[in-house]
Amino acid sequence: MDFIINAILKLGKVDRRWIFLVIAIVVLIPLLYPLALPIRPTATSQQVYDAVETLPKGSKVLLSCEYSPSTKPEIHPMVVSFLRHCFKNKHKIYITCLWPDGQFMAEEALAEVAEKEFDLIYGEDYVLLGFRPGNEAVVKGIVSDLRKLYTIDSRGTKVTEIPMMEGINRFEDFDFLFSASAGYPGTIEWVQYAVDPTDVPMSTGTTSIQVNEVMPYVQAGQVQGILAGMPGAAEYENLIDHPGIGTSGMDAQSVAHLVIVLFIILGNLGYFIERNKEKKNRGY
Amino acid sequence: MNFEIFGAWISVFLTLAIFSFLYKDNPIYKIAEHLFVGVSAGYWMTIFFWTQIQPNLFGRLWPSKEYSETGIWYGLYDVLNIVAGSIFPEGGIDKGHDLHFSYLIPLALGIMMLLSLFKSFNWMARWGIAYTVGMAAGLRAYGYLNSNVIAQLKATIIPIANTDLPIFSLLGESHFNNFILLIGTLTGLLYFYFSKEHSGVFGKVSKIGIYFLMISFGASFGFAVMGRISLLIGRFVELITFSSSSYHHASLWVLLLMVAILGYSAVTEKRTEI
Repeated sequence: MDFIINAILKLGKVDRRWIFLVIAIVVLIPLLYPLALPIRPTATSQQVYDAVETLPKGSKVLLSCEYSPSTKPEIHPMVVSFLRHCFKNKHKIYITCLWPDGQFMAEEALAEVAEKEFDLIYGEDYVLLGFRPGNEAVVKGIVSDLRKLYTIDSRGTKVTEIPMMEGINRFEDFDFLFSASAGYPGTIEWVQYAVDPTDVPMSTGTTSIQVNEVMPYVQAGQVQGILAGMPGAAEYENLIDHPGIGTSGMDAQSVAHLVIVLFIILGNLGYFIERNKEKKNRGY
Repeated sequence: MNFEIFGAWISVFLTLAIFSFLYKDNPIYKIAEHLFVGVSAGYWMTIFFWTQIQPNLFGRLWPSKEYSETGIWYGLYDVLNIVAGSIFPEGGIDKGHDLHFSYLIPLALGIMMLLSLFKSFNWMARWGIAYTVGMAAGLRAYGYLNSNVIAQLKATIIPIANTDLPIFSLLGESHFNNFILLIGTLTGLLYFYFSKEHSGVFGKVSKIGIYFLMISFGASFGFAVMGRISLLIGRFVELITFSSSSYHHASLWVLLLMVAILGYSAVTEKRTEI
């Protein structure tokens, strides 16, 4: 027993760099040798999938990309899967970006899905309107008069010359919104300035760190489902039956979480043992 | 040279340079950090200029639709065209806008904000900041009131005696979940009521509120860990890809080099200490 207690106490004093190394190893091994752990969609991911499924064919879907390379591992798989799902259901995709890097992320996703996989035509099946600075003011601008804000798309083509932009003047002309968000401005701004005032349905995919912040809007019915971080992306990939980077990362995610939980338990045990020892030494 | 391979080597170097901070602060990490700050600032400025200032501001002040070779306004434009032809192309800016002189106001406010660089003119920046703060406050007041206060309040008005609902359900609506929601909302709000001392029955109720808040913080921590691990997975996936022979084993070589440099510096530091 004393041996275990001493080992726990020693672990509590270990240099944090060893912990970093252990985490690196437990993340790396499942990536090299996948365990194929099962992925089951949660209710909120299923809600996103159902929301897209219930849209009639040829619906006008606005996809807003608010993420950058730093959050690409979490959000990009969602965007790729969402595009796949929408193009499979013959929906028209309009992309706006509230983050400057979002434009390049969207270009990458479109090249992979719209051009390579579905061989779709730019301007007829999808359009990348691009980035506009101004945060929530941009959302307000899209709600009131999209054409005032976007006179040209990301390629410099006049919006009036893009066939699929016909009849699109404001936010209410879209049938659905999906916000791929990694922070501010993002999902919350879309809810506050676009969705709540107009009642256009919306779903979202966010980074894990944002989930707690966005969840109240999902619970209140203001947002139809949420893809919560990498697990959300993996679940969506599973739902559309097209495994990708999200799915392959989930083994590593699960193992890493187990190890972190173990560290937390050991850390707490060490704390309590030390506290008891101190109490005994003081004669309490 | 194949730029894809070159890019992969740069990417690997920068990733491992940032990771090297986990060992300790070092010059390789500093290089990556400074490079990131500089590139980000330059990238953002360029994007802002070419997506907003040039098409939406200059494009509304000198649209090609209204271009005339005789007027004073476009005479000024022609001078700008000589100075910076890529920003002010010949014959006006063709971005589908009409002429709006009212856009001279944001132009002036923008210039005034830039004047904060000069000590004697930095008071002028306050005007632009005042406009931005006022506009943002006005916009947000409405958004928060509508979506965060009213809509969230509505969502807490739930039936607690609805016979159609099951007594218990883990995820869906149930009497139990509605009851938890009601208790959590009320006790959480009472915890932030500071006009009465948190003692007696009131203290106990507000303590329940703390427990609800702690559960929420725990969930936030869990999600934060999940997010960080996801980002680590993203970098590792790239490092694994770039360790293949098609990239000349970039990850392995850069890792070896970095370990050698950091190892050498650790040894020399130890010697100096002795």
